[in-house]
Amino acid sequence: MPAKDALNVIGTRQPRLDGPEKCSGKSIFGDDVVLPGMLCGKILRSSHAHARILSIDTSKAEALPGVKAVITAADSEGIMGTRRGQEPVFCKDITTYKGEEIAAVAALDEVTAEKALRLIEVEYEELPSVENMRRARIKGAPQVHPDKPGNIWSDVVDTYGEPDEAFAEADLIYEEKLNASVTHNLFAEFHVAVVDFSLPDKLTLWTPTQTALLMQHALAPAFGLSISQVQIIHLNTGGAFSGRGGTRPHHYIAALLSRETRRPVKIFAAGDEEFLVCRALGENHYKIRAAVNKDGTLKAFDMDADMDGGAFPAEVGYFGWMAGLCNSWVFPLKGNRLRRRVVMTNTRPHFLGHGGMMLSTNSAIMQLCSKIAKSLDRDPIDFLLQNAIDPGHKGLSGEVFASCGLKECLETVRRESGWEDKYGKLPEYHGIGVGIGAMAAGAKGAFKHDTSAALVKIGEDGFVTVFTGIPDMGQGTHTTMAMIAAEVLGIDANHVQMVAGDTDITPIDIGAFAQRGTIQTGNAVRNAALDARDQLAKNAASLLETSEDNLIFKAGKIFVADAPEKSLDFAKVVYGTLHNDEGRYTMGRGFYNSPLEFKTTSWSFGAQVAEVSIDPEIGQVTVHRVTVAHDLGRTINPLACEGQIDGQVYSAMSQILYEEVLSDDGLYLNPSRLEYKMPRTYEMPEITHHLIETIDPYGPFGAKEIGEGPIVTAGGAIASAVSDALGGMYMHQVPMTPMRILRAIKVKEYLEAAEAAA
Amino acid sequence: MLLPDHSYVKVDSLEDCLERLRENGEKAMIVAGGTDVIFNMRLKLFDPEVVVSLRGLEELEKVEEIADGGLRIGAGARLADLAENPIINSRYPAFADSIRAVASTHIRNMATLGGNICLQTRCAYTNNSEQWREGLKTCYKTDGNICHVLKSSTKCHAINNADTPLALIVLGAVLTIQNTDGSRDVPIAEFYSEDGMDNTMLKPDEVVTFITIPEVTDRTTFLKIAPRAGMDFSIAAVAARCDGSGADVSKVTIVLGSLSTHPIVLDKPARIVSEKGLTDDAIAEAVEQVREELGELTNLFSRTVYKKRMANVIVKRALVALREM
Repeated sequence: MPAKDALNVIGTRQPRLDGPEKCSGKSIFGDDVVLPGMLCGKILRSSHAHARILSIDTSKAEALPGVKAVITAADSEGIMGTRRGQEPVFCKDITTYKGEEIAAVAALDEVTAEKALRLIEVEYEELPSVENMRRARIKGAPQVHPDKPGNIWSDVVDTYGEPDEAFAEADLIYEEKLNASVTHNLFAEFHVAVVDFSLPDKLTLWTPTQTALLMQHALAPAFGLSISQVQIIHLNTGGAFSGRGGTRPHHYIAALLSRETRRPVKIFAAGDEEFLVCRALGENHYKIRAAVNKDGTLKAFDMDADMDGGAFPAEVGYFGWMAGLCNSWVFPLKGNRLRRRVVMTNTRPHFLGHGGMMLSTNSAIMQLCSKIAKSLDRDPIDFLLQNAIDPGHKGLSGEVFASCGLKECLETVRRESGWEDKYGKLPEYHGIGVGIGAMAAGAKGAFKHDTSAALVKIGEDGFVTVFTGIPDMGQGTHTTMAMIAAEVLGIDANHVQMVAGDTDITPIDIGAFAQRGTIQTGNAVRNAALDARDQLAKNAASLLETSEDNLIFKAGKIFVADAPEKSLDFAKVVYGTLHNDEGRYTMGRGFYNSPLEFKTTSWSFGAQVAEVSIDPEIGQVTVHRVTVAHDLGRTINPLACEGQIDGQVYSAMSQILYEEVLSDDGLYLNPSRLEYKMPRTYEMPEITHHLIETIDPYGPFGAKEIGEGPIVTAGGAIASAVSDALGGMYMHQVPMTPMRILRAIKVKEYLEAAEAAA
Repeated sequence: MLLPDHSYVKVDSLEDCLERLRENGEKAMIVAGGTDVIFNMRLKLFDPEVVVSLRGLEELEKVEEIADGGLRIGAGARLADLAENPIINSRYPAFADSIRAVASTHIRNMATLGGNICLQTRCAYTNNSEQWREGLKTCYKTDGNICHVLKSSTKCHAINNADTPLALIVLGAVLTIQNTDGSRDVPIAEFYSEDGMDNTMLKPDEVVTFITIPEVTDRTTFLKIAPRAGMDFSIAAVAARCDGSGADVSKVTIVLGSLSTHPIVLDKPARIVSEKGLTDDAIAEAVEQVREELGELTNLFSRTVYKKRMANVIVKRALVALREM
């Protein structure tokens, strides 16, 4: 007999519903979109880091047969190139980084467009530039923008609790520094925009994105349209990693070209252009202090962050606070302070990457925790357990952690990794390290609400269609949504079809960022499915001669709860609900907005243990094993959750050990998949997954998030394992490239020799 | 990024190919696997008017045993096929390793041995798109007269990143080079020049047609240091060869690659171990001498200081590997 509370779909290993489509190459991505009469758009970019534009002559380009439009700053008056509005679409007088948009052409084909670009004549007067934060902050350094003295964009101090008191009271104070290099998100799908703005009252944009809504909100006012007149279509998004949070200049340029030519226009970032269009993480310098008592109680953190925002740092500073805040999500601190200074440089504007700044700060914090534990003669896991928060804990900025499995995660990885047989007992240049982390899920703050809405329609054959605005950028969220609808309606997930990614069709959804998908959109889908189920229940109850609240929807049937031998097929009830006197077609509606005032609804927690070895002659680090325990609230699809963990361990390893954009005088030296180093499958460690369920009160079926928590934790674990392999040497820079490892070994040998001599 | 305008000629015989090269001279470029040429054309680094394709020329794809125990390999043979070739694997294991070290499976499925031997030198300042390069002054490679890697230099410092030539040099391989006037045989050790711009002795109308490897019974090894286990050019690579057994040797050859414009045949380090044997002390002494013979290294792709250390590490590892064979 089916139990009312037992779950049939949630918790099963469900392969992605769009798997066959993706694997056979049938999925449509931005560049697959080809429209009748479509033109090819190309952007001329600045070849100077800092220069005055003396003149632009487009006449030769315009005269080239096949060229339909050439536009410059003069054609984009009053329009800004990003949602927050500080970055222009085209640079007007002075270019501030190599790659800045100068002009654009639309032509019948790509060859003509490329030729036309070369015919645009730009006369520059070079100006002195600052290529990094160090240069930007020297007294009398050239200014990126004349109205920002000292190249400081913003300088903010966030104080939570009583950090000064905590530092004054503490027995011990530890301090370390860590620098993180510029990175690139390296999406599988390059930046692309196809715009049809050939009629004045409708702008349709096909583009990969994490949030169609924010793009509508940016494009509508820019072009004098109402939000609903901007249609965003994001069929599939080939990777995002926090870097596709809004509009970029190429979206506006495609729209301007389309409006000008009255034809659809496609702009595709070719090759190294991808590295200039992308708004990934900039260079960050952290100084971190920790206040600790002799008994091991962590009392406070104080973090000073210098963040390179590039030429237009509009959005960087906003996200800095999270990196500081997340320290207080795992430790019950008395005080926590973050100073974040955003510096401008003559480089690509920076934004976010996979794991945000939290990945690098956690690699600093976890190395520091291991160091503190060592100096107090404590086992690092014991030290973290002593300080880890419990469920119900109230954070310093008002967060309430309704569910928390942090300690269980720590105990799990200690047991499963064989920590006690390994820590302090490994051979030279082998290391083991632990990391913990928490991740906020929910995004109140972008707007007053954090609403996702969903529609469910049920065909007369019992097949269900879910309409959602949440983008699936590879994380498998559409399969998750189908499983939630299937669970509520008691049917197979394969009987659910997803319609997503078209703002003309799907209801509101803020988007797939801030780990809000499963909680907010998941709850919206659940509510819509419940609404549909209630409508079916009415008919089912009368057919089964029972009350509506005495029904169980399970396994494709509707049972009478107290007489389970009586049941009807789900599909039959659906058919009967339509084919009767009432003629009701079943459609459910639902939305969800977090009931909490705080930005976040719930937090995931995790602990990981990483084991590494170092080749002391070459400096290369090999990650052998990573043991992962993640409190995700409820496992909806174990297959997808394990995939999320694998991907994030990979990306953490990649960012901690490999990834770095190299530059010379503001010119990116490795703008390709060949030279921007990321590990391959050969480098993947063995990963064991432990999904810890704590059943959160807010998420659908108790689920929280697994979209970004594991990467942050993995960063901390891998960094502390490397530090352990170097006999406790603190690594001050990520990525820990072979050269930096060799340098650390040299320092270590020097210190050991000095100690031996003393 | 699109290909520049060009005409594409698929030849049906070697004769036809040589004739086309004679006709077009510097305007022509040979493409076999296309993994390097086509990509560099997209970057507008190569701008040939005529692309002469050797694809499918069976006479250049054969691997034949020759009378005195050696092997003759057509320059058009695919790396993937050569990596699987039983004769190469049993008789020339270091050569087989060097083939498998090139790029990835996908690229080896297309790339040819002749292509790897004639691989253009690479530089972080030139191997990017045309629009990217506009942010720089032109350099030796792009019709200018400076080198971005070493501003004071009078020559181009682009790096020879090919792996297979190192193994072929220690094996004493000979290249057959042909044009319409005839053919000449050149030991591969003499094929490369120290100029990153014009890095081989190949003339515009010439093509490498065959690679002949003599019979070798000596111990040989090939090692490569790269950022990743696959799909990467070397930071440093080495091929080494010796006679004798264990530490007893009388002739050792060591060739380093991917450090500068050309493969470096080490002289003094090889002599030290040839005279003193492959003992730990002799190897250490030989390694000490390596940096003396590296010439002018640059900060291209990785720091000079790191490259010098890697040269030492890889030479040491190669010599130890030979001893253990």
